[in-house]
Amino acid sequence: MADEDKTLQELEDLFAAAREDRPELPHHLSAAILADAARAQPGAVVRQGRLPLWRQLADAIGGWPALGGLAAASAAGVWIGLAPPSFVPDPVVLAGYEDSSNVLGDGSYEMAVMLNEDLQ
Amino acid sequence: MSTTAEDVSDDSLLVLYVNGDSRAAEELTARLGPRVLGVAMRVLGNRADAEDVTQEAMLRLWRMAPEWRRGEAQVSTWLYRVAMNLCIDRKRRARGGHVDLDAVPEPPDTGRTAAEQMQDGARQDALQRALMQLPERQRQAVVLRHLEELPNPEIAGIMDISIEAVESLTARGKRALAAALAGRREELGYSDG
Repeated sequence: MADEDKTLQELEDLFAAAREDRPELPHHLSAAILADAARAQPGAVVRQGRLPLWRQLADAIGGWPALGGLAAASAAGVWIGLAPPSFVPDPVVLAGYEDSSNVLGDGSYEMAVMLNEDLQ
Repeated sequence: MSTTAEDVSDDSLLVLYVNGDSRAAEELTARLGPRVLGVAMRVLGNRADAEDVTQEAMLRLWRMAPEWRRGEAQVSTWLYRVAMNLCIDRKRRARGGHVDLDAVPEPPDTGRTAAEQMQDGARQDALQRALMQLPERQRQAVVLRHLEELPNPEIAGIMDISIEAVESLTARGKRALAAALAGRREELGYSDG
């Protein structure tokens, strides 16, 4: 029992010594924590001026995945504009113009032959 | 009468930080960082991991700051809780981790002889080794109670358990530590006299 009391007292002494040995924050860790604090501070976007504009814009709309989606949607839009599927109204008609084609009359036959010869 | 940063509560510093005062972040870091680092080092037994946990816990504090509700809890309690959970996650990921003796702080220079300082260092190493033998929750409870000297209700809040459970964990942990160190009394320079 006495031995147990003695050991417990020694343990208390060890705890006391350990309490006095609390570590200090190393400089690199302190600097990293404060850098995180600056980045996470509300309104800190202004302070992120080191990022290029395109990067800030990309971040604002959601990063690379959003940019990929945007590019795919743009490409699809261009494609649909150039070659609309049959069920989509013709954009030319929607714009108020009429689709028209020019048919060469018989009198243009010679010109067509000449052009063909030029190409050859 | 002027007010210094030391007079301002952690709560108020967090509000100042949210309002754009960078000195508030410096004061909170100086105040809370060493405490988190100390606990993490004792719980993880590894300095590099403890530093990572400290940085991550502080980052979560900065991110949580705008939603902090003053008066509902102590900032330090919240931070200890986050740090303890991060420590548990690390231990789970690195089962069978080792004891890094660099984790044990060097004893301060108190004008003692080199032999006495070496003995102090050996005793602290022995304490850390014994701590690392404890089950995770016992180790956390012992560190928070006996090294951080937190009251049991606060430890209960940090560990999300009852006060009775804290008492049980610390009592069992202390007995286990005493038993682990009992066999090394002579080696550690404790006389029987």
